[in-house]
Amino acid sequence: MTGAIPSIALVGNPNAGKSSLFNALTGARQKIANYPGVTVERKAGHASFADGRPLSLIDLPGTYSLTPASLDEAVTRDVVLGRQEGEKRPDALIVVLDAANLDNHLCFALELLALNLPTVVALNMVDLAERDGLTLDAERLSKELGVPVVPTVAVRKRGLTELLAAIDEAIRSHQPRAAEAAPANDASLHQRARTIARAAILNETPVRRWTQRVDNIVLHPIAGMVILLALMFVMFQAVYAWAGPPADALEGLVGVAQTWVVDNIPQNFLRDLVVEGLLAGVGAVVVFLPQILILFLFILLLEASGYMTRAAFLMDGLMGKVGLSGRGFIPLLSSFACAVPGIMATRAIPDEKDRLTTILIAPLMTCSARLPVYALIIAAFIPNRGVAGTGIGLQGLVLFGLYVAGIVGALVVAFALRRTVAKGTSAGFMMEMPRYQMPGWRDILLGLWQRAWIFLRRAGTIIAMTTVVLWLLLTFPQAPEGESQVEYSVAGRIASGLEVVVKPIGFNHDIALALIPAMAAREVAVSAMATANAIDAGDDEEAMAQTLGERLQGKWSLATALAFLAWFVFAPQCISTIAITRRETNGWKWPMFMVGYLFLLAYAAAGITYWTAVAFGLG
Amino acid sequence: MTALLENLLDRAPLGVAVRIARIDWTAMSEDEGRRLREFGLMEGSEVTPLHRGSIFSRDPLALTVGRMKVIIRAKQAAAITVEPTA
Repeated sequence: MTGAIPSIALVGNPNAGKSSLFNALTGARQKIANYPGVTVERKAGHASFADGRPLSLIDLPGTYSLTPASLDEAVTRDVVLGRQEGEKRPDALIVVLDAANLDNHLCFALELLALNLPTVVALNMVDLAERDGLTLDAERLSKELGVPVVPTVAVRKRGLTELLAAIDEAIRSHQPRAAEAAPANDASLHQRARTIARAAILNETPVRRWTQRVDNIVLHPIAGMVILLALMFVMFQAVYAWAGPPADALEGLVGVAQTWVVDNIPQNFLRDLVVEGLLAGVGAVVVFLPQILILFLFILLLEASGYMTRAAFLMDGLMGKVGLSGRGFIPLLSSFACAVPGIMATRAIPDEKDRLTTILIAPLMTCSARLPVYALIIAAFIPNRGVAGTGIGLQGLVLFGLYVAGIVGALVVAFALRRTVAKGTSAGFMMEMPRYQMPGWRDILLGLWQRAWIFLRRAGTIIAMTTVVLWLLLTFPQAPEGESQVEYSVAGRIASGLEVVVKPIGFNHDIALALIPAMAAREVAVSAMATANAIDAGDDEEAMAQTLGERLQGKWSLATALAFLAWFVFAPQCISTIAITRRETNGWKWPMFMVGYLFLLAYAAAGITYWTAVAFGLG
Repeated sequence: MTALLENLLDRAPLGVAVRIARIDWTAMSEDEGRRLREFGLMEGSEVTPLHRGSIFSRDPLALTVGRMKVIIRAKQAAAITVEPTA
């Protein structure tokens, strides 16, 4: 090797602990982007050898062989073979094996070794293998495979120095040879893998496996379902219960910033823009960061512990009935955080029609961008008390109900789509169930940090921009004395036009005004109302002191508030989701279809909610 | 011949190890067949069916093969003939 920074790819089966190893090696020095032309995530990062020389690492999607079954598996093959556009063929490979699942993981390892690139095997999760009663001989394995084998425990950072030293040496001493014919992934390859695994396993005590005992409860046809529902319920209650204090602190911080600007900058156009536009708008969205992080914390924990696949197993029966598969559960659950990564995660679904249907219903999962809207309205209109002495909060219950409404809507829509536009044979469902393990806190924190960053960047760009544009539209032209500025402005007049359409479903001028900029992102509805209210309040100190929720309480009926909530269960108000759907379905046909059917549903749902509520005297 | 249906993995009792005698590869797509083999499900492998479905349906089936636990649908399991381990 000459002066260039060596690039090393991490390859291995799903569930081999590749991503943990990647996180342990690179720490926060990683960059997530997309491969050109495909939507598969490219995770790259930097690390350094013991003497300080840098190396670059890429984490490739987990796969079982070099014959891909899905889009992301194809990327692994293409990168390893040097065929991926825009990606240099890696100088060396780290093949990651699950120590407790050698005979299966060795099959892919043997395929990779036949490529004759400098290679080191990371025998990962040796601690879990020991827990399962396995004692392994790394040296013997190394002799059988003909490459260095380093035992590692990625989540505990064990074996990393040795691994990097081995890869350094492998690159240095590599004699280029032509690749051998790739062994077919068939019985003979499995036989070879099994023979090697047998040789490397020193001792195998048949311990009663811990994972099996847990699964007997967690996968029980009835108890398992109760546990899954309970987990989901706790997750959504926690989003409410835990986020209070940090959200208040953030809100206080925004207030402090506003006061500081008001006190230190003379009254002018720019100051109003900053205080009423930027700080009121962006601040209204940023206060929801704690709730979004709590939701992601649960999702990351469920995924890292191995529970997510169990949930997919339990849900497969139900999802199969509407023509989907348990595979779709993971993208759909991710969509509770954000539909964009959710839709991207559908790439792991091999069946085309199954995948399309999952994409089309993903926006019905209550994403975190709806939380700001739900949280604002629920806090303002739903009393904060328990339900008949059960200790369950009414507010949390309403939130749970909104999530359930989205899920039920999604199932009904999927059922209809699979019989009409996405007709096809029932999809398959084949998946490996990982063992349970303690999530590594570093992996979880890194995941949370990446999500927080994405959210804040969104707040700082798309949301800040739409808010500023909206502020300008709300401020001009200046209303004459005695007229409402909000009503008189350009935005106010556009909203008055829209109001005609949404009036039948109980929406007022406030809502009509918020809906237009909220096309960019749902949470903009909140920042838009905050900005409009800040302008409306003007110099009225008493009005300024009221929170947005308090002001809405005075202006909206309960029926309107409920209709507004029902609208957001369905409304496809998110530019990013529409854009990602276009990219993932290669055209405008499906995103347009999605937007159309969701708006129809939103209008109907809000209308029915409003008319029902009015009939019960809540208007 | 009466035992024929009993011998399909689809119907095999839970918790009892069995050996795969035959797989009808024509009953599934090429991709599904390859994924089965990648999981190590092939003639001669020993498997233990462990969990079947939920309150919603009998689908899917979770089974161990070697040290791995995998999920397949009843449709594929119905294409796999099993026999008792020796």
